[in-house]
Amino acid sequence: MSDSNSTGHSSLSPPPPGSRRSPSPGGTSVSTQIALRNMRRLEARRNMEENHYLTQKARNCNLNPPVDLRALDYVSKYDDNLVCPICRCPLVDPVLLMDCDHCFCRECIRQTWTTYSPLGPKGDCPTCRMPAKLGPRASTSKILVNILDDLVVKCPKSENGCKSEIKRGEVQDHITIYCGYAMVECKDSGCGQSVRRKDYDLGCLHYNVSCESCQQNMPKAELETHWQLQCPDRQVKCDLCSSLIYYRDREEHRKEACPAVNVPCPGAPLGCTNKSRRAHLDIHVKGCVLAKLGPVLDAQKQRMDEQESAHKLINRKLEILETGFTAMQDILSANRSGPPDNGSTETLIVPSRSRAESTATDSTRIASADDYDFPVPPSNRGSAIEPESPPTTNTTRSSTTPRTTATPRSLTSPPLRPAPQAPFPRPTDLPPPTTTDFDLASPFSTTAPGADGPYSSPLHHLLSMHESLRDEMARVSAALTELDGRHSMQILNENLRTRDEIAYLGGQVAGMGRQVHWLTSAQLQRQTPGGSAAAREVGTGASAGGGGAGGSVEGAVNAMSTAATALRGAARVVNVGGGQGSPTSPGMRRGVSEEGRTKL
Amino acid sequence: MAGMSSKRLQKELVKIQGTLPPGISLVSAPDLKEWQMDISVLDNPLYPPADKYRLRFTFSPSYPIEAPEVVFLAAPDRNIPMHPHIYSNGIICLDLLDSQGWSPVHNVESVCISIQSMLASNTKAERPPGDKEFVRSNRQRPRDINFLYHDPTV
Ligand SMILES: [Zn+2]
Ligand SMILES: [Zn+2]
Ligand SMILES: [Zn+2]
Ligand SMILES: [Zn+2]
Ligand SMILES: [Zn+2]
Ligand SMILES: [Zn+2]
Ligand SMILES: [Zn+2]
Repeated sequence: MSDSNSTGHSSLSPPPPGSRRSPSPGGTSVSTQIALRNMRRLEARRNMEENHYLTQKARNCNLNPPVDLRALDYVSKYDDNLVCPICRCPLVDPVLLMDCDHCFCRECIRQTWTTYSPLGPKGDCPTCRMPAKLGPRASTSKILVNILDDLVVKCPKSENGCKSEIKRGEVQDHITIYCGYAMVECKDSGCGQSVRRKDYDLGCLHYNVSCESCQQNMPKAELETHWQLQCPDRQVKCDLCSSLIYYRDREEHRKEACPAVNVPCPGAPLGCTNKSRRAHLDIHVKGCVLAKLGPVLDAQKQRMDEQESAHKLINRKLEILETGFTAMQDILSANRSGPPDNGSTETLIVPSRSRAESTATDSTRIASADDYDFPVPPSNRGSAIEPESPPTTNTTRSSTTPRTTATPRSLTSPPLRPAPQAPFPRPTDLPPPTTTDFDLASPFSTTAPGADGPYSSPLHHLLSMHESLRDEMARVSAALTELDGRHSMQILNENLRTRDEIAYLGGQVAGMGRQVHWLTSAQLQRQTPGGSAAAREVGTGASAGGGGAGGSVEGAVNAMSTAATALRGAARVVNVGGGQGSPTSPGMRRGVSEEGRTKL
Repeated sequence: MAGMSSKRLQKELVKIQGTLPPGISLVSAPDLKEWQMDISVLDNPLYPPADKYRLRFTFSPSYPIEAPEVVFLAAPDRNIPMHPHIYSNGIICLDLLDSQGWSPVHNVESVCISIQSMLASNTKAERPPGDKEFVRSNRQRPRDINFLYHDPTV
């Protein structure tokens, strides 16, 4: 680079080709003039070429920015003493500081010093902090520069695809002249865009295409770079396991599949500190006790959690039952006097004990009550626990008794406990109606404390009372059914009698009807000429109650009508009295009326 | 420029992932912008060797020409060490990290060693004067603060 620069400069320095106008030396021969002209022509052509080359070069510089040699990947090994302490690369254009002889890249020291002292190439040596500056001949020896420039590096376009490995000193020339992946101007001079050197002969590639994989639109010239560097569907090599993966999947590959990633042992929560590559994890897991235990312990933990929640539920239930039980005991003991009050003070202590113990004592208490079958279980139990101190129980009893008789409720229901009437869940074996029964029955138990003597416990007392009530009920219902039966029998008998009477009366009436018939027919035969008058006479006689001839007939008819009314009344009685009489009575009545109508 | 910076950080990272002096360890380096290191002090009763302190390095694109920002981080198991030049918000008053004191020949490892030795030579378990006021009022980046190095012995 520096060589070409210097040659360009020297070729520019001679006078420009416009020297034709300068006066030619007069009197010279034609041959020399021709020679001069040829020389000028040559000179002009050389200048044109030179200019063309320079503009080309300037354009190339624009298209390909100068290579920063400190950012190169080195292929050959280099001595640590050749490394610049600032950029940690093999020195690039090394310079020596005056006075301390520390060596840095020219660019590194320039950047360091312009950053912090804008006055010029002057400042403290970064290594030894001595004030230093660049001398007039700061460059190190040519030998060192040659060694450094002979180091082999990868082409800076290697990630774009250039596989060249070149000496560091030739990198800039490689990019400006040879590298197929460096940019040059498009062959189509009207296009004005750049294209990679290797694609230069393909003509203008600046028309839009779309990527087959990701459907993105771009100029054809950029498609290859896109495939290699940008397309999310391109294949890349995993840095760790060097398998080919799609760029889009690389995060997932890292997390899930890459066999070279270090993953912790599955037994890590249990304390296994092992971390091995995914590929070797199986081997470790086979030997790791903690990894094998993992699932078992997990299952156990889950079961324990389940059981714990179940246990909590049961505890809660037990608490409810317990409060219900103690509240019930309160009610019962509140309605007892004397010795049972001692028992209530006993139950006051129960909740303060541990739950298991309290339930145990409660159950034993009931059991002992069953055994002894006598109403003083608490004191009995107290003496069983402390057989040596009956006097103390006596004194407590005597001290509590007067207060109990005065205010039984206030003593037996401490503020901690719910009021006995308060709604609380009860044990299922004691339904709520029992309490109302008990409340109704409570006056008896308080007025006659000796009455519940035979009962071993309040519960038993309640149950027995319930039982006796049920017996009473049964007795009452039996009496009721008996009464009912007797009553219905009575009605039946009455009915039968009435029916018989009606039948008898019916017979009588029929006989009388026949007599009347006979009498009327005899009368008619007797006075045939004034039959109609006689008939009329019969009618008026019936209404007026007079008539000598038909006097007997009239009496008979009267008797008949009274009999009929009597019959009708009897029938009504039968109708009301019993069902058995009703089917017969209408017929009978009809018979009577028909008879009456035929008579009339 | 950016090329030089990332190239150098890559090289440092490779070296740090290899070997480090005792008491210094790399915690995380997810990218070339922010790294976290743990340091512990080996021979000072003020700082038990079991206690670790978390350092956060933040690199600008002009590293190593420009100094990295280095502060102590507080975490559930990491405290800010007591030191007359370390504020309770983790900002370190060390000339090495100042724009005047920084030199591009330093690197992450050498900064860690400097901080480690700064702790190791300390004898006073106290905060800098005006710590509370500073912690409450300071909104500047550490590198922009002009510390007065009043005590060159520490
Ligand atoms: Zn350098
Ligand atoms: Zn020096
Ligand atoms: Zn190349
Ligand atoms: Zn084109
Ligand atoms: Zn694509
Ligand atoms: Zn992989
Ligand atoms: Zn394991």
